[in-house]
Amino acid sequence: MSQTPPSPHLLTSPLHARHVALGAKLADFGGWLMPIEYSGVVGEHAAVRTGVGVFDVSHLGKATVAGSATDGSGATAFDFVNATLANDLRRIGPGRAQYTLACDEASGGVVDDLIAYVKSEQEIFLIPNAANTAEVVRRLAAAAPPGITVTNQHADFAVLAVQGPRSADLLAALGLPAGHDYMAFATAVWNGGPLTVCRTGYTGEHGYELVCRQPDADELWTAILRAGEPFDVKPCGLGARDTLRTEMGYPLHGQDLSLDITPVQARVGWAVGWKKDAFWGREALLAEKAEGPRRLLWGLRQVDRAIPRPHMAVWDAPGPDDQGSVIGEVTSGTFSPTLKIGIALALLSPTAAEGDTVYLDVRGRRAAFSVTKPPFVTASTR
Amino acid sequence: MVGGRATVYGRDNQLPDSTNHGRTARGHTGETRRGTAPAAQIQQRSNAVATADIPEDLNYTAEHEWVRADTETMLRVGITDFAQDALGDIVFVTLPQPGAEIQAGEPCGELESTKSVSDVYAPVSGTVTAVNGALDANPELVNSDPYGEGWMFEVEASGPEALDALLDAAGYRAVSEK
Repeated sequence: MSQTPPSPHLLTSPLHARHVALGAKLADFGGWLMPIEYSGVVGEHAAVRTGVGVFDVSHLGKATVAGSATDGSGATAFDFVNATLANDLRRIGPGRAQYTLACDEASGGVVDDLIAYVKSEQEIFLIPNAANTAEVVRRLAAAAPPGITVTNQHADFAVLAVQGPRSADLLAALGLPAGHDYMAFATAVWNGGPLTVCRTGYTGEHGYELVCRQPDADELWTAILRAGEPFDVKPCGLGARDTLRTEMGYPLHGQDLSLDITPVQARVGWAVGWKKDAFWGREALLAEKAEGPRRLLWGLRQVDRAIPRPHMAVWDAPGPDDQGSVIGEVTSGTFSPTLKIGIALALLSPTAAEGDTVYLDVRGRRAAFSVTKPPFVTASTR
Repeated sequence: MVGGRATVYGRDNQLPDSTNHGRTARGHTGETRRGTAPAAQIQQRSNAVATADIPEDLNYTAEHEWVRADTETMLRVGITDFAQDALGDIVFVTLPQPGAEIQAGEPCGELESTKSVSDVYAPVSGTVTAVNGALDANPELVNSDPYGEGWMFEVEASGPEALDALLDAAGYRAVSEK
């Protein structure tokens, strides 16, 4: 049972050798060979909830939309992004980032969820998911008027996430900006190169995502681990990132959001600028909102002991004498290291309501779960 | 054991080959009842075999379980150090009930990590005489002490020949290094 060598086509982070030296387990995430875990998911999860952890998320996409239209419309990169992506960029200004969605024009389904940084009217920096970056860039480039450029910078930058209640202390010890508002970013100079420090994350804790030039990543990673020693910083893998985000009920594209799952169904309508005149998928989403979605994303919390997994069927009866019917499907499920119970996100028919008891088909056995509204663990992002 | 049937990762979970999003038959927890996953799906460290503890006085299966023979037929069963490291933090253990009849090579329990479910296979045929109740509240014992407090169950084998089909430490090391 020797280790199968990774496929040769996989991209690696500039920190790949560091991860191997730390004994990380690696897996393919969106075409990138990235760490799943170093010392263990449960311990890494706890470090982020109680102290501080650092994640290499360099596989995340990076792209820049820049310029102003030369077609006489006067539209800037800001205007163009605001007329295509779903959230209303006018809610924020330069120096702020926003969670937004790229929806399909025809169906309203989600092509990707991403973070948009407003650097200026003429420059919007995007962080899409790794596997969706090329498609997001393709759609934006196809729609961009002359004068506005869309550039895929996937391998130009590295992204390190420093997350947890001690994250501000760690960054302060490094002399980096810290303590700014949630979803605000600051720029600094690192190794003579630009470094962006954004108060974002995917863990539910106070945290920062650092975007640096790829050649600077190795030194930054090493400096973070060294400066974090007094705070017992742990390198954390994408396994812990998944349990952390699931406890918060944050959707994951490819599971809880997809081309087949709209923002209305996944309850991320808060990231849609409903009053805007234009964004991709506007007609379809307004129609779905008026009509009422055919399913909605809920949280499920274990009553019977069991760990939910994606695609488990959700029933309205305990079986086997009372078979009932299928009312939905688990989209994300895991063991919550904080609560020590099974938790899930599931798309359920509109008849489901908070407090209902439903039953998951756990490999042939039905386990009772309670319908709830996430988060499962109180967020401490601010 | 050691057959991850479901794998769930973080943001950007576009997973390797057929486990992508856990939607295919092999990676899909809800559909695939059993089957040892190929080695490619087991997430192990590159130095796993070299550092794994393989005690000389135990018998083993190719499914990475150990068997300690107290007598010719009274056997204690657990998973190997190599297996616990490959599986990662164990967070939920399901074991057969005392009194249950188990068949060599057939699944008789499950080990779950945050991201995967793996079958426990019966190493021999016989009757379960005891299970390690401590694993209910402290499943992490499987990781921290796989050959000691992390044992899973005891079985009375249906005959003394049951041990003949098992591997010795050298045989197991050879299997692990394949």
